Amino acid sequence: MKPLTFKESKQLLFAPIIENNPIALQILGICSALAVTVKMDVTLVMCAALTSVVALSNFFISLLRFYIPENIRIIVQMTVIASLVIIVDEILKAYAYEASKQLSVFVGLIITNCIVMGRAEAYAMKNPPIRSFLDGLGNGLGYSFILIVVATIREIFGSGTFLGLQVMPDSYPTNNFLLLPPSSFIIIGLMIWVIRSISTSQVEEDENPLKAHTFKPLVAKKEASNG
Amino acid sequence: MKNLFIPLLACIACAVIVSFTAVSVRSTQDLNLENDKKSKILLAAGINSENINEEFEKIEIIYVNFKSNELVEMDEKYDHLKATLKSDLSTAVPKEKDIAILKRMENVGPMYLWFDKEDNIEKVVLPIRGYGLWGTLYGYISLASDLNTINGIEFYEHKETPGLGAEVENEEWKNIWKGKILYNKDGGVELKVVKGASSNKYEVDGLSGATLTSNGVSNMIEYWLGPEAYGPALKKVKETFNS
Repeated sequence: MKPLTFKESKQLLFAPIIENNPIALQILGICSALAVTVKMDVTLVMCAALTSVVALSNFFISLLRFYIPENIRIIVQMTVIASLVIIVDEILKAYAYEASKQLSVFVGLIITNCIVMGRAEAYAMKNPPIRSFLDGLGNGLGYSFILIVVATIREIFGSGTFLGLQVMPDSYPTNNFLLLPPSSFIIIGLMIWVIRSISTSQVEEDENPLKAHTFKPLVAKKEASNG
Repeated sequence: MKNLFIPLLACIACAVIVSFTAVSVRSTQDLNLENDKKSKILLAAGINSENINEEFEKIEIIYVNFKSNELVEMDEKYDHLKATLKSDLSTAVPKEKDIAILKRMENVGPMYLWFDKEDNIEKVVLPIRGYGLWGTLYGYISLASDLNTINGIEFYEHKETPGLGAEVENEEWKNIWKGKILYNKDGGVELKVVKGASSNKYEVDGLSGATLTSNGVSNMIEYWLGPEAYGPALKKVKETFNS
């Protein structure tokens, strides 16, 4: 394989932010995007945790890719990912106690985040370590980008604060709907709409287009019986 | 052979790294947990401060022997929750008396006291715990100087449903507790969490959709402030210090 060029590494790192975003295009890892985006500070911790897990798991799985037996590869991948998640969880409990208390189970659930498994399986198993590391980092950044936008909207309009500081005037009636998980579904949906109307290549082909109804006999029979 | 060897190697390597990390950050984690507990004790007493350790030095910690109802001295490192795991430091609670579903109860429990300048009791904080819906709730309850009026309540660990039972952490609900009266004229624990809205000083509004959690909170207060736990010691403290 050719050595890694600057342009290529830039592509690996930044393509997943808009062009190939794991949440907006691949629709992966939605679960935590709904759950941890109420407050910005918690979201930032989650983004850092997930980005480090994806990047490192990609790196280690790529290092091991020639030794991992094909038929039990998922188990080996899970072992690596789970270990990394436990390490991140332990470190958060020690050095970011408040945030880890609010994130509760969601740090542990990074293990089941589709982005981590998806990148390990789709990219790290076929590419060298440095590229895989950059790919993981890029996908982590893509995930973070969406989460940060969602958290910004939810915190400012949901509780009138940003990073815990009051930004809205006291007279602003906080929108409680934005504090509930379904609101991020709507925000992510709107973001996908915006992204796809800018870069139209992301628009999927309609698999089952609606067609005019052409089946007649049943209607005819019914009319006959009525008459 | 490769199928067996590689996963085994990966497992061993991962296990070593994970346990190494866990052990090396353990002391920092324990410190966090301890500070969290201390801050909850202060919050229950109505003190919201950044300097936890400084505020904590103002507290007089007295230990209560629940068997003899005497006030005793204990080592500073004594942890009443860890004591419940040791057979010589705890006793099984008889089933008919175990309303808070504790199973085992420590023989000695702490009592956190604040004194004013004339050495009268200003307020007191007591640890409480009991079963809710999904697991045990751990918290602190604070009483005002008459040792009968509620000063505050805090929970620091529970497994209740978010949005329902987990509303025990709701600031507005915790504020309802302030000023409620604990004991009736006969000295029995009268304070209860009731279904719906409260109608007198002995009742606290129930949490909607969380009847079992509300009952659990009622039970743990009845148990821990009743004759089996801190009840007699509170009377004794009141006689000794506020006469």
